[in-house]
Parts: sequence; C-alpha cells; structure tokens
Amino acid sequence: MLKLFYVTDIHGSNVCYRKFLNALPIYGIDVAILNGDLLGKVLIPMVEKDGGWECHLMGQYTEMKTQEELANVKKIVENAGYYWCHQTRDEFEAMQQDPKAIDKMFKNRAYSRIQEWLELADERLEGKSHQVYLCPGNDDYYEIDDMISCMKLVKPCDNILIEFDDYKMVSCSWSNPTPWDTPRETSEEKLTEHLEEVCQKIGTRDKDFEKAIFNFHVPPHGYSLDLCPALTDDLKMKAEEKIHAGSIGAKQVIEKYQPLLSLHGHIHESRGAQKSGRTLMINPGSEYSEGILKGVIVMLDKKKVKDYVFTEG
Amino acid sequence: MLDAFAVGFMNQGLTPGAWVFLSLGLSTFIGGNVVIATLISVGFAVIGFPLVWGILGGSMPRSGGEYVYNSRILHPVVGIAQSFGDAMIWMIWIFALAPLIVNPGLTMLFQFLGYDASWLGNTWWERFLFSSIFNAIAFLFVLFGMKVFAKAQKVIMFFGLGGAVVIGIVLTVTSRAAFTDKWNAWIDVNATDMADGVDKASLHYDKFAGTVATVGEIAGGIPTTWNWRDTIGLLVAASWLYAYAYSISFIAGEVKRPDKSIIWANVFAILVPCTFMLWFGLALYHSVGFQFLSASTQTDAMNGSGVVVATFPWDTSFIGLAAIMVGTGAFAKVIMAIMALSYVAFAIWLVTLSYLAFPRIMFAWGMDRMGPKWFTDINPRYASPVKNILLAFIIGEALLLWAALKPDASVNIALTGLQITSVFFVTALAALLFPYMKGPKSIWDSSPYKKWTLLGVPVIVWGAIVNIIYLGVLMYGLFPTKWGGLGAGGDWTFEMIYMMIAAWVLGIAWFFFWKQKSKSVGVDVSVTYGELPPD
Repeated sequence: MLKLFYVTDIHGSNVCYRKFLNALPIYGIDVAILNGDLLGKVLIPMVEKDGGWECHLMGQYTEMKTQEELANVKKIVENAGYYWCHQTRDEFEAMQQDPKAIDKMFKNRAYSRIQEWLELADERLEGKSHQVYLCPGNDDYYEIDDMISCMKLVKPCDNILIEFDDYKMVSCSWSNPTPWDTPRETSEEKLTEHLEEVCQKIGTRDKDFEKAIFNFHVPPHGYSLDLCPALTDDLKMKAEEKIHAGSIGAKQVIEKYQPLLSLHGHIHESRGAQKSGRTLMINPGSEYSEGILKGVIVMLDKKKVKDYVFTEG
Repeated sequence: MLDAFAVGFMNQGLTPGAWVFLSLGLSTFIGGNVVIATLISVGFAVIGFPLVWGILGGSMPRSGGEYVYNSRILHPVVGIAQSFGDAMIWMIWIFALAPLIVNPGLTMLFQFLGYDASWLGNTWWERFLFSSIFNAIAFLFVLFGMKVFAKAQKVIMFFGLGGAVVIGIVLTVTSRAAFTDKWNAWIDVNATDMADGVDKASLHYDKFAGTVATVGEIAGGIPTTWNWRDTIGLLVAASWLYAYAYSISFIAGEVKRPDKSIIWANVFAILVPCTFMLWFGLALYHSVGFQFLSASTQTDAMNGSGVVVATFPWDTSFIGLAAIMVGTGAFAKVIMAIMALSYVAFAIWLVTLSYLAFPRIMFAWGMDRMGPKWFTDINPRYASPVKNILLAFIIGEALLLWAALKPDASVNIALTGLQITSVFFVTALAALLFPYMKGPKSIWDSSPYKKWTLLGVPVIVWGAIVNIIYLGVLMYGLFPTKWGGLGAGGDWTFEMIYMMIAAWVLGIAWFFFWKQKSKSVGVDVSVTYGELPPD
C-alpha cells in the first residue's frame, strides 16, 4: 500500500510549509505532493517611525517599539503567507507612487521565501525515503519553476510524467480564467487542449489510466469541489450565492480518461471528495491564513483507492 | 455581514423570545423587573458572547459550529461529546418550537381575527399535521441552498421586525387611562366562564391583580414593585433573547471578512433584541403598569399553566395586551394580524435554523471521519448538504410525532439548561484556554485577535470569564430551590441532566466507534485533529 499526502494552496504561509515537511514522518508518508498556489499575495511594509516601526496588518494599525515586537509581527506576517519589507518613510512614500517598484519588491520577497523553503526541504528530507513533488498553481509566476527544478530532493512535476510504484501522475498548474488575471490562467479552449496533451503523456489506451493520477490545480466544473462565492462587479463576495468556478476542460478529461485518482486545489472553501465514474476526485481545501495545514492522505492499493482521510494540523 | 447578523438575530427569535421572557419568566418571577433584567442580561451577553464566539469563529472560520473549536482546543472527545449535545438540542428545538408556531402563533392570529381556533391542534394528529406543515416549510427554506435561504430570511425578518415595531408603537402610544378603559370594556364584553367568586367587575383593571392573587392563591399577592431575587430569576427566560446568536458559527466559513463580520454580527444580534425589549418593557410599564403586567402573566395560559380567572378570547400575553389596546374594527384587525404574524414569522425561522445548524454539524463530523462519508456530500446543484438536511427532516418529523402524542413544553427548560452547560460553558472554557493551549498554538499565533489584550491578558480570556459568570448566574436561576437555586427550571432540571448525560455518553461512544472503524482500515483519526509541529 502506498500512502500519498496531498496539500494545496498554502500561499506563502511559512508555518503551513514547515508543517507540511514535518507531516511526512509523522503521517508515515511515501509520496507527498505540494500543489500550488505557493506564492503569497500581500506585501506589508514596516515603516520606520520614532526609532520603531509601524505597519497595517489585517486591517489594524500596529506599532512596534522593540526588536522583539518587530520579530513577533514578522512571524505573524510570515505565518499568514504575507511578505514584509523594511522601509523609511521616504522609501515607503516613493514606492506608493511606483507600481513597478512594488511589483519588483513583492517578487523579490516571494522568490526569496520559495528559495528558503526549497533549501529547508533539502535539509529536512536528507536521508529520508519520502518522495516530494512541488507543482505551482495559477497564482505562481513562471520564475519559480526553474527554482524548483534546481533542487536536489524536491522534484518538479508540472507538465511532467511522474511514476512512483506502478502509478503514473501528470500535473497541470494552469487554471481557467479568474477575475484576478493571474499569471497561469488561460481560456477554457487552450486549457482543454493543454490538459489533453498532458493526459497523452500517460497513454492512449483505457488500460493506461487504470493506475493514473491527475494532479490538476483547477478542479473540474460542476462538481462539489469547485463551489465558491459569486462575486459582485467590484469583486466583492456574495456570500449567499455559490457558483461553480472549476474548469470544463478538467471535467471533460477526467470523465473521458477516468483516472484512478484526481487531485485538485484552487477553490479553498470547497474541501471535499466526490466520485465521477471510477475516479475519486479530491480537493483538500486550504486554510493557510489561519496557520492550519489542510491536506488529504490517500491510501493506494493496487488498482484501487483503498481509503482516504482529510487531515488538519 | 447582514446575512451573518440575520442568522444570529433570527435565532434570538425576537417576538417568541420576548413572549418567553414575559409569559414564562414573569409568571415564574412575578416581582422581576423586565428593564433591569434586560440591562443585566445584555451587559453580560454583549461582552461575553461576541468575544468568545466572535474570536473563535474569526480565528477558525469554518462552518460546523462550536464542535470545530472545542475539538481543536480542548480534545476531540470533548468536541464530539458536547457537539452531540448540541446536535440533539437543534433537533429537539424542532420538537419544542414547531408546535409553538401553531399554538400560540396561529391560534393567536385566528383569535385576533375573530375566528374559531379550537380546531388548531385539539387532537394529536391535528397537532402533528399542522406542526409538520411548518416543519416542511422550514426544511424547504434550507434544502435549496444559501441563496434561497438568505432571500427567505430577509423576507421573514422584514415581516417579523415590522410586526414587532407595530407592537412597540401600540404599547407606546396607549396611555394608562386608555388601556384601563379598553381592558375594562374588553372584560365586560368578552370574559366568560368566571371562576368561583369572580365577576366581571372584579376583573376590571383596578381589581385584576387582587383577583388573580386570590384565585391563584399567590402568597403575598401580586407585588407592586420589583425585587432583585425575581429580577435575577428573570435572566433565565431573558436568555432566549440574548444567548442564541451563536448560530452564526454554523455559517462561519461562508461569511465575508470573518475576522470582523462574525464578531460584529454577534454584537448587533444581541443589541437589536435588547433595543426592542427595552422598548417593550418601558412601554408596558407606561401603558399597563408593573403590577398589572405581572398579574396578566399569571392568567396568560402559556403551556396551559396560567391562573384561570375566566375564559378570554385570547391569552393575556404582551401581544394579547397590545391587541386589546388596538381596539375593534377592520383596520384594528389588520394591525392585530401584523402583530401575530411577527410571532409566527420568527417562530418559523427558529425551526428553519435547526435545518441550517444540524446538517452542518454532521458535515463537520464527517470531515473529521466521525461519521459515514456521505455526511460530507455536498449537492453540486444547491451547494448544500442535501442528504444531511433530509436526515434532519426525518428526525424532526419523528420528534414532532412524539410532541403531538405527548405535548409538554417543559422540555424547553431542559433544553435551555443543556445548552448553557453543554454548549456555552464548554465553549467558554475552550475560549478561556485557547491562548494557552499547546495544541492550537499555531492557530492562536495566526489569529487576528492575538494582539487584542486588556491589562496584558487576551480579550478572549476576559470575554470567556464574563461569559462563564453569566452562565453561572443562569444556572443559579435554573437550579431548583432545594439545590440553592431560584427554581426557574423546576423539577425539569433532572430532565436536563438525563439529556446531557445521554448526549455525552452517546457522543463519546460515537467517537470511539468511528475511531475504531477507521483504525480497522488503517486510518488514524488523530491526523484529522492533531496539531503538526512546524519545527
């Protein structure tokens, strides 16, 4: 029996990433997949003020007078998946006027964290038997692909055929269009074409998919794994109205090829599992901003999913 | 925010809550002061509940109620055991509340309009049929997902609040002299079947309290002023209006900006009923007077236990008194119908909220492998746990059949006690310990409320302390006098204890059953709860 651990959408959260690495020996995992989105979304400037610092964090104005207070706030920022930077008042005000400078600073901080994570993984996985795969998501810039490829013990898997035991896995980091114009989103037509190409890596016969695993960041459209709040025109959530935000292309290829297992993320609030024919589809959801690592352990036995259990820690 | 507030506010059931406060509370604690009891209740509730439930909900914004917090902070067994109690409570509320939609709700409406209401629930099958109709309506409001639920909730809230405003206006604009005239005229025309030694003149405003005291053999008569003991005793019944906004936690995962919305929705869901109750209380003391109000609660036939001085066309609840103030005529009947419909609207929604909460509790259990996998099934069309909602309906119908065969609203008291201990107290304890427990340390470290401190202590701890004191006062009121309490629960406190023990034993058995079942297929359920160390 093979124990597969699947986690998705930790969005830059330091504490979730460290928990992910620690979960592998604790849960006795053979193969672990950390699916995107890996990058965070928020940069918090810590601006110098009267010998201390000030910032706005989670809607609150915060002042830090000592190094200890500063370290505590930085830890909160990192655990929530945000990035921080030190600035003088002049630097801060200058950057407010320059969107390119903000973008540059954000990417600099985001890539630094990914690099730290990858180095930490190599350090912690040294001499251990866990196989660990990283796959970006639609929020992740393409630059991180090269960073993942350079690592020793963490393997990339986006758009690559991966084989472990007798199982074959293909992955796709892209998504269908979102309201936020993210780096790896494309039209449904192009996404469907791409997913077809990815699936072809496994084979063309039905038999090839008996032990196949799809790892697509975006969930299939129309199931219970892609339900999220509808948005207003100004991108505010309509909490009472749920819509299906998944990909029709993903739905088509899953229903067509019927892999053993199909793993997804993207829609954080749609944690769940659902069958489509013989395929078990799972979205473990995400609660990264609360420092909670959500995942799923799937127990694979021959041509069957023996069982699965959602995890939280 | 509006929907979160509405879920909390509607679960306080404004008009039925005020009815329980006055009819049940004041008839038991005859010298209680409604205004002071409201201020004390709200003083406790508006600090304790938002800080406990708002901060826990904002720190762990997941739908499923307090099970999520207690299983993570205290222990999974504690979480399941108390959650079993809560699940049982939500189902039994259907048993307790659906019949109240019919009587006094619809009964009052028909009586105000001058129709015969005796056909509403004379036999067991009539009670079952009418309760089932409203149970089915409540079920359908939830079955088709949050969009339908939220729209229906706004409509029901509009009618409920509109009726409550009308009641408030009627109570406010009626002077003591006008009420006295209308009451006396109403008695002269409508009072029948007088008790021995009672005539219509003895039921007139000036003599009413004395007559009630004589017929009801109330030692010391109806008090002319309030006292502290009875006012504290009133807090138990008042809790119906102020302690139930916690229902927001069942949709915490579906709320926008949970860090702000949940806590503020809790605050407003307490302050709005407080505003109404202060209004009703002050207006009643102005128009009806303290002694007469206390006397009228004695003749109010709530649960059939009132003092029978005569037969009246309708009960002398605060809505009944407002109906008398309105007078007669076609327009008056419209006003009276609006007031009665306020009660019906809020009571229907109290049942509806059971269908919101119970399936979400099951969903949360299922996600932790504490139940069959279908507990976690979400219907893709309606985005709701349709199977769980259907199960809730079947259980609800079974309970309504039981209620029809064995009508006894005293179970309400047992439920209140069970809720105070099994749900509110355990969760307050979890809130008290949240910042200091190792298990949920990273959740606390990521909490947006970590920096909210007062005198160096996290405000959630202060909130928990205030909440525990409030719950202690409520239990003091609920405990029988022979145990040193104020006796608001009467002998039914034993019922509460039996229910709580049964719920906890079942919950613990349920936990170990599913733990063992998972173990047999090689799954350790602790992975669904256990905290992962980051380093």
